[in-house]
Amino acid sequence: MPDKTIYQQLREDGLSRRDFVKFCGLLSGMIGLEFSAAGKALGAAAGRAPADVVAQALKTKPRLPVIWLELQDCAGCTEAISRSTSPSLSNLVLNRIAIDYQETLMAAAGAQAEEAKRATMAKYRGQYVLVVEGSPTVFQGGAFCTIGGRSNLEILKEAAEGAAAVIATGNCAAFGGLPRAHPNPTGAHAVMDIITDKPVINIPGCPAIPDVTTGVIVHFLVLGTLPKTDGLKRPLAFYGHTIHDHCLRRPFHEAGRFAADFGGRSAREGWCLYKLGCKGPTTYNACSSLKWERGLSFPVQSGHPCLGCSEPKFWDGGGFYQGQSAPLNRPGKVDVGLAVGAGAILGGALAVANRAGKKRGVAKSEAVPPKGKAE
Amino acid sequence: MGWPEILRFFRGPFLKAALLIFIGGMTYRLIRVLLLGWRRDRAKSAGSKVGGTLKAYLKSLLILPFIPWVKRTFPRNALTYIAGGLFHLSLFVVLIFGVPHMLVWKSLTKVGWPTLPTPVVDWAAAVGIAAMVMLFINRFVQPVLRLISGWPARLNWIFVFLPMVTGYMMTHHMFFRYEVLFSLHMIAVDVLLIWIPFSRISHFLFYFFAKTIHGAQAGKRGVTP
Amino acid sequence: MTAPTTTKTQAALNAFVKETGGWVAGQLEACTRCGLCAEACHFYQALGNPEYAPVWKMEPLRRAYQQRFTISGRIKSALGLAKPVTDEDLGRWSVLVYEACTVCNKCALVCPMGIQIGTLIHDVRTAMSAAGVVPADLHAAALKQVEIGSPLGVTAEAWRERLDWIAEEWEVEIPVDKPGAETLAVFTSIEVMKFPENLAAVATILNKAGENWTVASQGREAVNFGVFESDPELTKVFLGRVFDAAKALGVKRIMIAECGHSYEAFRWTAPNIMDVPPGIEITHIVRVMYELMKAGRIKLKAGAYADAPVTFHDSCKIQRRGGLIKEPRALLKVLAGDSFREMDPCREQSQCCGGGGGVISIKEADPLRFAVFGMKIDQMKANGAQTVCMVCSNCRLQFTEGVAQYNSGVKVRGLTDMVAKALE
Repeated sequence: MPDKTIYQQLREDGLSRRDFVKFCGLLSGMIGLEFSAAGKALGAAAGRAPADVVAQALKTKPRLPVIWLELQDCAGCTEAISRSTSPSLSNLVLNRIAIDYQETLMAAAGAQAEEAKRATMAKYRGQYVLVVEGSPTVFQGGAFCTIGGRSNLEILKEAAEGAAAVIATGNCAAFGGLPRAHPNPTGAHAVMDIITDKPVINIPGCPAIPDVTTGVIVHFLVLGTLPKTDGLKRPLAFYGHTIHDHCLRRPFHEAGRFAADFGGRSAREGWCLYKLGCKGPTTYNACSSLKWERGLSFPVQSGHPCLGCSEPKFWDGGGFYQGQSAPLNRPGKVDVGLAVGAGAILGGALAVANRAGKKRGVAKSEAVPPKGKAE
Repeated sequence: MGWPEILRFFRGPFLKAALLIFIGGMTYRLIRVLLLGWRRDRAKSAGSKVGGTLKAYLKSLLILPFIPWVKRTFPRNALTYIAGGLFHLSLFVVLIFGVPHMLVWKSLTKVGWPTLPTPVVDWAAAVGIAAMVMLFINRFVQPVLRLISGWPARLNWIFVFLPMVTGYMMTHHMFFRYEVLFSLHMIAVDVLLIWIPFSRISHFLFYFFAKTIHGAQAGKRGVTP
Repeated sequence: MTAPTTTKTQAALNAFVKETGGWVAGQLEACTRCGLCAEACHFYQALGNPEYAPVWKMEPLRRAYQQRFTISGRIKSALGLAKPVTDEDLGRWSVLVYEACTVCNKCALVCPMGIQIGTLIHDVRTAMSAAGVVPADLHAAALKQVEIGSPLGVTAEAWRERLDWIAEEWEVEIPVDKPGAETLAVFTSIEVMKFPENLAAVATILNKAGENWTVASQGREAVNFGVFESDPELTKVFLGRVFDAAKALGVKRIMIAECGHSYEAFRWTAPNIMDVPPGIEITHIVRVMYELMKAGRIKLKAGAYADAPVTFHDSCKIQRRGGLIKEPRALLKVLAGDSFREMDPCREQSQCCGGGGGVISIKEADPLRFAVFGMKIDQMKANGAQTVCMVCSNCRLQFTEGVAQYNSGVKVRGLTDMVAKALE
């Protein structure tokens, strides 16, 4: 029996046709189909608007199998997707139409769950998408993270082998995240460090924005490719601008109005959080444009400075609540003491040498030449 | 290596090294002079050395030398006075009362203070940059400055000018991405910090030597410094 | 060092090294090369030669410091990369520091850092002197002072005769080598030979006030060509002659007559370069006149010179560097009343006459010092003074010659002479 199309499945879940059309419009806009060259080409060829391209794909294409691996993670990215208060796009796509294996969400557990994964991997070899949440660890052969008695490295490599594409969601999978923070006791790495022979896309964030993960999956579903990325393999459509670029507190930044404390009047009135340690100016993510919970809010809007969670090594980027201009490594008392000591010894030695030179100079100058005329 | 990595390096380990070189280098300069031997002045004072010193500092604090009717030299070289004065004023305003710089001081010394509104600091920075350009031209136009300026003087100018310009571009998001400008600014600052102990920019420290000597000399002789 | 050194450059370098203590080094380190000191220098103002900038005049000192006292300089010197100081350089800077600098130290007031540039240039002179690269006229005068006791060649006999003549001509008593005197008055040869009325005036005033004073035949010369040449040994010798005489006579104070550099040398320099006899106060005639007037021991005719505008020239070593600023003004307020006019600039900021620091004794420097004096003429034109007075005979000589050179009708007088003529 051929797999049901996504449209069929959504209809079975009770989605009206009208809602489906709206859904397609949203999806096409979100993944930037209007702006991507591939999307335009596809639309032109089909003689349809981008939303119709998406609708056509969802109507005709079978569901896209997804295997969601959790390595050294906190399940925060999963939580972010599943905690949506109303059936969001992510909810629909990920929960109902795609995911075959997801430890946290699936009903099955233990050997049964592992069996389901093996089955999907075998059946859809070369077709499924592998989503990784959490960082792989390499110390002790990956012994710090095992599932069902097998090391995370083994599991990851095995799952990636048959995948069409790998999506590293959350900062841990994308860049190593919290487990990789100094001193990195488990040898945590980014997925892209381990998987080098498959297309890997990073959706960093702590957690990753659910709609971005969904958008990337839909993009792959509709166009069969991963979206265009930046140097850190992040989809440009979502990571092309900084939090600062679209921040609604930006005018206060330009005016030099900086909130002095958390929850104070200035913070509540929308003043810039730079002094409270906001990393917005150097953080590439879609928080300030997409926002969270269907556009309700995002950290900076709610009064908390951006931590820079979509950037590599954000845990080691200085204090979260320290202004961004502050030095990352402050010289300690010992360092300063050593520097002063070295300078003093060098200066003192030179001064002593110079004083000796002065005495010698005096002795020599006793051979005074006869005073004569000016030259 | 991407810009975030470059930024991390020049804000982190390299800045720390630069700061330590700065501290060590300035200590070296200071000790080198302090231990060279100082003769006690045995001439009987006609006035108060302390009083003279205080007067000398007050006078230079109130920027009296820049008030035309105080120093008759002012009209003869107004450009050096005005541009030099504005440059130092700008430096003071930006480095002490600019929010990002105050946060640097705060992180290094644990002491913070109120800052000036960004537009004020921003204008001060623009004025400082304009003053620097004037001073650069001046160095090539004035016959005396042409005579006494060598490469060290020109390098000083470059190393001071770069942090100013990159900092200004950074606050205005000009031409490049923020993290690129931030990195360039930090590189320029690090280079400046390392350069200071080996250049005449260290006059910020030896100023106190010369000014104290000047004040004490004047005080001892009972004249206004 | 691979740089070729001669006995001269070696001697100069050694002198530089010897001069450079923390005091000098701290100030050299503070220089930012802003060039503002040039605007204070009357030689630069009058002639516009950038080499007259004070900072350039002390360049050899800075270069020696750079090469001998810093690590980079020592390395460079060892590798032979440092710019050596050559005999030619010495000759060039000898002209700059002896002929185009009066060591007036106005540059120190203008320097934003407050560097005592004048003093540092004086140190350059010391090195020049050690190397023997001193203008011939200046050194000849210094040698004369060594041998005869006066740079003008006034022998002891000639001096004695001159004093007798003055005593007779002005009908004043001039006690010579009087034991038990309290005040030892020391005059310059310029006063003795060219402005004898000044000597008579001092005698008149002191006698009128009933001061127990004397002159000393052993310490008769105030002028110190060791200071001009900046040879510490000569300076000590010449100072020592007066101090020995003062000690022998047992005086309580030494009063310098109208002379600037010797007041500076006795008052501020001597204690720092030699052992001075304790308990001897150093004072200057203008201060003595002021104190006598305050104490009521002399009375001046109020408004004696009030009929025409009078101005006062502040001498570098007595006013700017000596602090005797209010004294002459208090005297002139009484003598000239409202006719007294300040020059602009005045007091500490006063502009040097151009003859100080030995410049006046160097023939080659004549065009320079007269060019500089033009500015003084302008200042006197601006305040309309018909008489200019001062308390330094070196300045007075420069003014007398300068006024003649410019055909100006301004009368040049010593303040002491004016006071003596206005005694009641």
